[in-house]
Amino acid sequence: MGDKDKRYILWYDEMEGADFPIVGKKNSNLGEMIKAGIPVSHGFAITIYANDQFLVLTGIKEEIEKQITSLGKVTYETAKQASAIAMNLIEKAKMPEIIEREILDNYKKLCDQTCMSACPVAVRSSGAVSMPGQMETYLNICGENDLIDYVKKCWASAYNTEAIMYRMNKGMPFLFNIGVGIPKMVNSRVSGIIFTINPINGDPSKISIDASYGLGEAVVSGLVTPDTYLIDKVTFDIIKTTVGSKETMCVYKDEGSDIVQKDVPEEKRGVSSLSQQEIKELARIGKLIEQYYGKAYDIEFGIDADYPFPENIIILQVRPESVWSKKEVEAKVEAKKDPMDRLLSTLLAGVKIK
Amino acid sequence: MAIKFMDPHDVPQIPGTEGWERMYPYQYHFTKDDPERAAYESNQIWYYDGLHYPEPHYPFDLIWDEAWYLALSQFNTRHWLVPPANGIDHRIVNGYVYISPVGVENPEDIPKRVPHFQERAGFYFQNWNDLYEKNWKKKVGNVIEQLEAINFTDLPEMEDISVIKEGIGKGSGYEFLKKYDKLIDLGLESWQYHFEFLNLSYAVQVNFFQTMNQLFPGIPMATLTKMSAGFDPILFRPDAELIRLAKLALEIGCEELILKPLKADELMKALAEDSIGKIWLQELERIRYPWFHISVGTGWYHTHISWNDNLEIPFDNIRTNIRAIKAGKTLGRPTDQILKERDRIATEYRALLKTDADREAFDQGLNLARLVLPYAEDHNFYIEHWFHTLFWGKVRQIGQVLTNAGFFGDADDIWYLRRDEIKQALWDLCTAWATGVKPRGPSYWPKEIDWRKGVYEKFKEWTPPAALGTPPEVVTEPFTIVLWGVTSDVLKTWLKGGEEDGGDPNELQGSPGSSGIAEGKARVLKSVDQLVDLKEGEILVATTTSPSWAPAFVKIAGAITDVGGPMCHAAIVCREYGLPTVVGTGKGTQFIKTGDLIRMDGDTGKVTILQRA
Repeated sequence: MGDKDKRYILWYDEMEGADFPIVGKKNSNLGEMIKAGIPVSHGFAITIYANDQFLVLTGIKEEIEKQITSLGKVTYETAKQASAIAMNLIEKAKMPEIIEREILDNYKKLCDQTCMSACPVAVRSSGAVSMPGQMETYLNICGENDLIDYVKKCWASAYNTEAIMYRMNKGMPFLFNIGVGIPKMVNSRVSGIIFTINPINGDPSKISIDASYGLGEAVVSGLVTPDTYLIDKVTFDIIKTTVGSKETMCVYKDEGSDIVQKDVPEEKRGVSSLSQQEIKELARIGKLIEQYYGKAYDIEFGIDADYPFPENIIILQVRPESVWSKKEVEAKVEAKKDPMDRLLSTLLAGVKIK
Repeated sequence: MAIKFMDPHDVPQIPGTEGWERMYPYQYHFTKDDPERAAYESNQIWYYDGLHYPEPHYPFDLIWDEAWYLALSQFNTRHWLVPPANGIDHRIVNGYVYISPVGVENPEDIPKRVPHFQERAGFYFQNWNDLYEKNWKKKVGNVIEQLEAINFTDLPEMEDISVIKEGIGKGSGYEFLKKYDKLIDLGLESWQYHFEFLNLSYAVQVNFFQTMNQLFPGIPMATLTKMSAGFDPILFRPDAELIRLAKLALEIGCEELILKPLKADELMKALAEDSIGKIWLQELERIRYPWFHISVGTGWYHTHISWNDNLEIPFDNIRTNIRAIKAGKTLGRPTDQILKERDRIATEYRALLKTDADREAFDQGLNLARLVLPYAEDHNFYIEHWFHTLFWGKVRQIGQVLTNAGFFGDADDIWYLRRDEIKQALWDLCTAWATGVKPRGPSYWPKEIDWRKGVYEKFKEWTPPAALGTPPEVVTEPFTIVLWGVTSDVLKTWLKGGEEDGGDPNELQGSPGSSGIAEGKARVLKSVDQLVDLKEGEILVATTTSPSWAPAFVKIAGAITDVGGPMCHAAIVCREYGLPTVVGTGKGTQFIKTGDLIRMDGDTGKVTILQRA
């Protein structure tokens, strides 16, 4: 294959941050994370060029432009009509053979890696320009037919009313090609959150991990009391393990993206959901992410039951820590004249009992 | 609600031990005859020193307890005038030693003590290396030399002719009594030096731990130790020497001879007769003084003998080392790596600090901690290992003399006498020898010793409550904070253990020694000569470990000890091997049986019996 910008497909580990005009920001960020050693879900991106070629080869590019021009002045009403036209054309169009083959060949590679015939994936929109939350992401898509349908749906979602209005307000053109990410759905045995500081007191020498069975929703939305682990960020020694009650877990409803709750079997509740080596590896990755971005981070992870350790650890989402990072930095100890002065004040204070 | 323990005067007597008090000095007993003293006793916290004494005291072995009672206390109270803290008081209950930190009673005295402390402690900190390296090591070396020169043999039938011809004018009985006094005196002197730097070392450690905890709340003890520890403590030297001897044997080619299943004395004879073996034996003879003066235990009990007392132990270790090297294993501590790791940890931690004030406190705390650490780590070898093991040997000689004179059935009976009673027995022996009559001892001691042995066995079956009396509002005594780790949480655990009869019968709480969780079959070993029974993957349960136990650590999945804190040998070695360790369980060797399936958590200090054997 030739240059990246004429390819339909790029795997995550082939891209870097600068490739965002080719695959969109969400995708290129993943490529950048892999380069930094941060394990993200295995998968590939369908390029922005593929989206463009889809419109060209199906002939709907011209058709859309023609119909939109006829709508005239831009208002909320016309935007709604424009949206219906564009989305309908895209979703109805047949995927051109050459693009379809590329997508399905690579999907098969992903399936082969996990020894599954129809490996569940997500279909995630990824624009080259940030348009927060305005395009769709579809979860738990299985099999070739659905995959192709949802890729088209994802492309179509760039033309929902909000997205169109947003672009018009910004003076951007109507036609907007996006990248699509196809990551393997993490078959989460356990999910949770890593804080690269101690969230209780902001102590930067600790890493804190919350973890519970199933999908991360159970931890994020506070449905369960998760296991919590406190790790020394410098030595990676596990300082404290608190096993939570973990009565329930979130899982995907069969073959769909709906999330349902399920009871955790009794015998699994009272034991740690993560192994020692998983805890230490998560802490190592947390520290790596913090060093990479240069500040404290809050990180969602999943432990994928379809891979062995350490490939099973998947970073799902990262964002800067927002509470302690905003606090003003103050000295934690009183200034003392000399070491003897400090020693004396410690001795005089002693250790309180009660 | 304030925590309160059983009043020390209310501890029940064990039936059949009535009169046990006479086995120990009178000032060690809780009594009500002086109301003022009784009130003081009731208002103090007394905790069982399980850290040093997993077993009840033999009357003679109490000498070291008395020695540190005197020395530790005097340095706090009279040498340094540690502003808020006086000494540590001692009592004994049913054979078990209880101790209690004593604060400065009048708050107005505290500021008055500050300038004295600054001047005195300041002087030692400023001259630390000279005082330790030049002064201390010389003094201790001298004490050990004098101890080595003392020997006890049976009194002669008649004095040697030289006593007459050289006009000496003194007799063997007198000399025997004098030597006994000298022996005891040297022991007490060695313990004075033991504490010369120790109180200040612990004060520095309190400061280090607390400063670091302010900077990094909950920073693990293991991390602090890794950050400040010396990378080559003397306590590891004996083991390093055995590895060196194993390598030497392979190098010069006498390993086959050493590997032969011979007893130590037979092997040494065979080596001496072999042209290559002879060279190796010379090297062994050269290093065994002092490096084989290492105790198989902590050195606190007379049962804790040294490698020199039983050469089978180092020979077994050397054989294990030879086999391991032949199998391609790397032996020894990676000191370069340990040093690098120590500096990495300190540098990374320092880099996390954001203000100058914090960085300054960090540097001050760490630098002082590193200044005192070589002493804190190494003094045990000189006193508890080298001095003690030699000392026990000398007392054993006296036991033999008294056995030969019919006082005892066995030389080991001597441990059932207080040290002042031994002096009395020796007077009895010497005066009778001088007079040419039968001493009273042979009709007096065997009966008494038999009774004491029975009492001692009953003590052993008794479980001492963790604490007695009333805790103070604040603990200021450095040893109590660092070594025994007395905190509110610890007191609460003690309370549970004492009054709810131990809580879960399948759980045991110790202190975290080295991180990690292990599950496996337990192997309870009471002494180092049982090491042969240890199997790959078992969890070692021992009273304590010392360098003699080195071969164990390549086999085990984890270790649990009755005695010790995060700086003890087992914890240090296990951290280096990456094995989980729980230390200071108090009674792990009684509670756990060989073959039990156990789970241990080196992060929380919890040990759980999953299935009894």
